[in-house]
Amino acid sequence: MSLLDALPTPKLRRGGYPNAVLVSMSIVMLAVLWGLDAVSVAPNRIVQGTGVGVLGAIGLPGAFLASLLILAIGGLACQPGRTNYAAALGAVVLLLALMPFGLMVASYFLIDPALPQARLGIGASYWLILFILLLCLIELRLRLALTRLLPGLLLAGVGLLWWLCASLWLDDLALVQEFKARDRQFMRAVGQHIVLVGVAVGVSIVLGGLLAMLMRRFKRLQKSAFAVLNFLQTIPSLALFGLLLAPLAWLAANVPVLAQVGVSGIGNTPALIALVAYSLLPMVRNTYIALEQVSPDTLEAATAMGMRRGQQFWQVRLPLALPVLLEGVRITTVQAIGLTAVAALIGAGGLGTFIFQGLGQAAMDMVLLGALPILVLALLVDAALGALAEALRPGGIQ
Amino acid sequence: MKHSDQHADRRLWIRSLIWGLLLVVCVVGIAHAEGLFRWLEPDARQVIYQRAQFYELLGRHLLVVGIAALVTIFFGVGAGIAVTRKKGRDFLPLVAQLASLGQTFPPVAVLALAVPVLGFGTLPIIIALMLYGLLPIVRNTLAGLQDVNEEIKVASRAMGMTPLQTLYQVELPLAAPVILAGIRTSVTINIATAALGATVGASNLGDPIIAGIINGNMAYVTQGALIIALLALTIDSLFDGLQGRLRQRLSSPQRLS
Repeated sequence: MSLLDALPTPKLRRGGYPNAVLVSMSIVMLAVLWGLDAVSVAPNRIVQGTGVGVLGAIGLPGAFLASLLILAIGGLACQPGRTNYAAALGAVVLLLALMPFGLMVASYFLIDPALPQARLGIGASYWLILFILLLCLIELRLRLALTRLLPGLLLAGVGLLWWLCASLWLDDLALVQEFKARDRQFMRAVGQHIVLVGVAVGVSIVLGGLLAMLMRRFKRLQKSAFAVLNFLQTIPSLALFGLLLAPLAWLAANVPVLAQVGVSGIGNTPALIALVAYSLLPMVRNTYIALEQVSPDTLEAATAMGMRRGQQFWQVRLPLALPVLLEGVRITTVQAIGLTAVAALIGAGGLGTFIFQGLGQAAMDMVLLGALPILVLALLVDAALGALAEALRPGGIQ
Repeated sequence: MKHSDQHADRRLWIRSLIWGLLLVVCVVGIAHAEGLFRWLEPDARQVIYQRAQFYELLGRHLLVVGIAALVTIFFGVGAGIAVTRKKGRDFLPLVAQLASLGQTFPPVAVLALAVPVLGFGTLPIIIALMLYGLLPIVRNTLAGLQDVNEEIKVASRAMGMTPLQTLYQVELPLAAPVILAGIRTSVTINIATAALGATVGASNLGDPIIAGIINGNMAYVTQGALIIALLALTIDSLFDGLQGRLRQRLSSPQRLS
């Protein structure tokens, strides 16, 4: 987000120039809506579905309504102004809220109740329009200079609606069927994923903090430690997981005590070691920079007020360093969420299991079942920690 | 000062030469090191990955990453330039926001989402790599171009430079180190993500690792992992050398006068 802070906030221009961004996105959405397949229908899980366009999926009235709303977004953007942007925001949210109902209509039209295995897949135009609508939301948020709260609440409302629709009425949707077939497994995988990320980030916060402190005490350590951490970060994740397998398997086979503690070539141990190794660099770098950048004047003032060294650290340096430190935690956590998915390959469990199992079985909806929650998890953590860092930033510090 | 700079520069190139040599030694030598890997995996029927030659796998890996890198550099830098010009300024906030938000997407998830749309094989990998690799480059191009001092731009205009000349002779050279750092990030991520492509049917250096994990053959895993790691280190040290040279060129007074 640091890049964004440096940007000039876009000004609302009265009349005159149309907003090129929203107009072009609305044109693209129209083209996508009428040109690509909205949904696909498959008689069972493995068979590739046949695509169905927008007319077949939601009929002429539905297609007309969708086109009208999309045109409204583009039309409102031709005369920019606060009211028009707010109305466009309304249209975007309405479209997002109507999307699951479109799927319901499509499943009513297309799914034969006599075929219990038949399922509805989500097509290319559906995904693309969803993506572009989210872009519109970002653009409108920037133009209207809204805080993150309102769009966040709107999205949470839309998400809740989607969840409700999916759990109550969208039984024919392939994604929902995949979930229902393994809901316990799914919940366990989410739990495993969060625990792995949590432990890895927790360990790297402690280790990273210690390392950063040591670096500040012994300046000579700094260069070599950063060199080693950079080196580790360069090695691709799959290779690091792979390189850990052989020695750990050897250790487990030859040192019985370690095997009893749970060390083994496959599973959580190599995953955690690799995750911590990757997490250390962003953690240490941000902790070190955060602690170093506290202005010497402030520290001098603290000394002048009679603070002892310990007090100075805990009451002045650490609170001032906290936002940058949290930025490190944010980068580390988001990165760890993605890397944990790779760890499923070496048997660590988590949501990556669905991705790789689904790829193995060519069951694309199972892949989605793994990939979408990972994406959502990463975005949620990013937003939450970003907001926390912003809240902790003291007023005077840039 | 200048002498020591050149010295450091030479040391950077020597480091990439060493990693490159190690890579070549491994690619050629692994096929002949059966004894070594037999010790690692005494019971396996085969200890050297046989389904393809290592240099073929390396070549395919480099090809995929290379194509993706060329396309992303072209479009990424192009997009960064386009939205900082007068005509494209409307798109700047959205593109900047998207580029920083995109860093949140895990590469595995992007790869997995590309497969349902594009199918199995090498093509989805290249496209997923392009989409993902675009973001760091766009982000850094924006940061680099916006960091260029406004007064310098005004001065170049006062000297009678056209906007195009300003872009090529002033803005891009000054932003080059930041842009290069973005390209480095993008390529590093792509080398790692391409290896994951072995799970979606692309044949590259990830293959021996995946095959080794599935068959429980640690020798395969080690061979694949070793070569990918050395490849990543070689490319990374090459970028190190390039960045060192660029820094030197920008800071040396003779060049600017």
